[in-house]
Amino acid sequence: MYITGWTVLLAALGAVPAALVHERTFAWLWVLGALALAGLDALLAPGPRSVAVRRAAPGSVRLTESTAVTLEVVNLGRRRIHGAVRDAWQPSAGTRSDRHRLRLGRGETMRLRTPATPTRRGDLHADLVTVRLEGPMRLAGRQRSLEAPATLRVLPEFASRKHLPSRLARLREIDGQTAVQLKGAGSEFDSLREYVIGDDVRSIDWRATARRAEVVVKTYRPERDRRVMIVLDTSRLSAARVGNAPRIDASIEATLLLTALATKAGDRVQVTAFDRVERARAMGSTGPTVMPQLADALATVTPALVEPDWPAVARLIQSRLSQRALVVLLTTIDASAVDGGLLDAVAAIAAKHAVVVATVDDPELAELEAGREDAHEHYAAAAAARTALEQDSVGARVRELGADVVTALPDDLAPVVADRYLALKASGRL
Amino acid sequence: MTAATDLHRAPDGPGVLARARSRPLVPILSALFVIFIATLVLTSRPEDTTTLSIDNSAEDGTRAVAQILRAQGVDVRQTPTMAGARIDDPSRTTLVLADAGELMDYQIDAVADYPGDIALIRPGQDLLAALETGLTADPTLDAEVQSAQCADADAIAAESVATLDTVLSGGDSGGAELCFVNADGAGAYAVIDGERRVSVLGSWPIITNDHLDEHGHAALSLRMLGRHETLVWYVGDPYDVSTLTWEGSSGDGKAPPTEVEANPDFLPPGTIPVLFILALTVAVAAMWRARRFGRLVREPLPVEVRASESTRGRARLYRRARASGRAAAAMRARAALRMGRRLGVPRSADRAAIVGAIARAAERDPRDVDRILYGAAPTTDAQLMTTIDELDTLEREVHRP
Repeated sequence: MYITGWTVLLAALGAVPAALVHERTFAWLWVLGALALAGLDALLAPGPRSVAVRRAAPGSVRLTESTAVTLEVVNLGRRRIHGAVRDAWQPSAGTRSDRHRLRLGRGETMRLRTPATPTRRGDLHADLVTVRLEGPMRLAGRQRSLEAPATLRVLPEFASRKHLPSRLARLREIDGQTAVQLKGAGSEFDSLREYVIGDDVRSIDWRATARRAEVVVKTYRPERDRRVMIVLDTSRLSAARVGNAPRIDASIEATLLLTALATKAGDRVQVTAFDRVERARAMGSTGPTVMPQLADALATVTPALVEPDWPAVARLIQSRLSQRALVVLLTTIDASAVDGGLLDAVAAIAAKHAVVVATVDDPELAELEAGREDAHEHYAAAAAARTALEQDSVGARVRELGADVVTALPDDLAPVVADRYLALKASGRL
Repeated sequence: MTAATDLHRAPDGPGVLARARSRPLVPILSALFVIFIATLVLTSRPEDTTTLSIDNSAEDGTRAVAQILRAQGVDVRQTPTMAGARIDDPSRTTLVLADAGELMDYQIDAVADYPGDIALIRPGQDLLAALETGLTADPTLDAEVQSAQCADADAIAAESVATLDTVLSGGDSGGAELCFVNADGAGAYAVIDGERRVSVLGSWPIITNDHLDEHGHAALSLRMLGRHETLVWYVGDPYDVSTLTWEGSSGDGKAPPTEVEANPDFLPPGTIPVLFILALTVAVAAMWRARRFGRLVREPLPVEVRASESTRGRARLYRRARASGRAAAAMRARAALRMGRRLGVPRSADRAAIVGAIARAAERDPRDVDRILYGAAPTTDAQLMTTIDELDTLEREVHRP
């Protein structure tokens, strides 16, 4: 049961006769009478079983983009229904105006749209649908909350897709498709063609020139159909907040940009999210289905507060990759990673594959290191320096094992990793 | 690509009555609770802190004497207003005017017209004059125990009382009999026995809860007030503007004036009930707003810790342990690494190579650079700060464009 504002107004109206009657008892009687009338109205209201609801949510939406969830309300009873309904979702679904008026004749159905702007990645769940059915006097009514489960999948934002056009342009330059005064910068032999003025004289194929009467140059193109494996570390260190978001968000952005780029470059990408077990994977698809599949797989990836199992990661990579590939480890370089077996895993992988270890830099460390305000800030600077030294030495040891190390601030990680991929591709080291 | 679910309907659960029957304790307990609260509200009375009030149990109250009088069979009644006195039979009633120092002239006139016995406790000078007692009340600081020294039977029975706070003097013109007189001829108590008996208690603390059990205080108080079977007690109130009422007081009509008429108010009549109903409306509005439209929805929040938290923790550890040597070592190693990178010195280079390269770049004495980078570890905070300052300066010189 609930009462409406009309009951309050009715109670307040009692002030007029009360001014004439001069009796305090009258005030009590009036207000209790108003409440009793409201109670009677609630009894006369249609029963909550006379409505049924059906929810519908779009399958998925990208983070920060807006969508709408819909709710259908059906009047199953024999009476007309007045009231309200609330389509409740969890707060991060961003459904601010989730209350709607209900006006339903017998057997009628209403479709109510609630705009939603999700503020968190992952599966967002709907809560109860609350229905209010007014009594004939509009003073009060009955309220009931109904279970109607629904889920809205919110995909990662992929804010780094703004970097994609410039990287694709660079890829075409490497490919030799763009008219630049350079040979195609790839390393794989493509074809022989006639020399034109402007070609690099170093690329003239003298044997072929000797066979024919004209000067012939070799053209190259970047290697295609290479394998790229991205390993997303979802262990405890990925939960740490850098700036305003956890590390894993920057890693996911990097995964998405690199996958988009590498797929366009003709390479095959597989992604795994791993801590002690595999949390998500995206592999085996080609063409336009790659990105939706990946976004869907990464939507629900959340950091787990466990230590990563690096030997298992190495075994997984060996089992998934039969030929040489580029393995990108999106993790955190930290003194504790050495004890966790990161170095051994990198050594094992680097023996067969090209390895890039990408890590998110913490801008706060630089701030701490620059602090000179008082004694405490000096000690903080020293602690930050010690942390940086440790990371540096771990990075150096990873490099000694033949792997590449990329560190960048959270917003820069995706383009920096993409650039490193392009550099590797241009130099033919894949 | 919308995924619609099935139709959902409220479950056909048991009704309110069935639920109440299955758990009978809940409605019973809530009803008891409501009754308990209602009883508390209806029976509670605000604590009385008025001096000389018979409901006041503090030191300056007179609850004790009122209770003793009641136990002796006297009908003791306190009235908040003069008009509320409504004395039926003045000849069988004692009217107590306590602390009545601020009465209006017409109120004093009405008291002077009153035919029955009056007991004045801590009276005002105006009242003493209007009742033609001829007495003057003066403050005193001496608390002396005096014997009766008069012919009044009540005073003789009390034997001795203390002169407290106020004493009475004069009174010859009104025929007043002063009792418990001190050396200055001023007394604690006086009585005028004429058509009506007017007893005046100047030393009013005698009758309070605090002093009632001392000397002959109780005897004097009880005899003074216990002469008739009814006692009407009025404590002076500057906001009370009504006049004393008794049977036959208003000359033309027999009926005593009602309370409403005796309480002229500057607000229009009916204001109080209107305010009351508006207050109740506020309570109803609270019920209206308090009912939630569906429950609060839970948001599963992930654990998030700032990545720099461990570094900050380490900084606190350094500070607490005063590990200035260790802190300086970290800063020196980091600075050397940065400068070495800038100057192209390999990581594996030895101390002399780094110092030499830096000294050349900074145009400094190599010994000075060596001292800054590899000197003795600082032992105090001040030394640490100096070391870091020197490192910063050196680094600025090296990084100078």
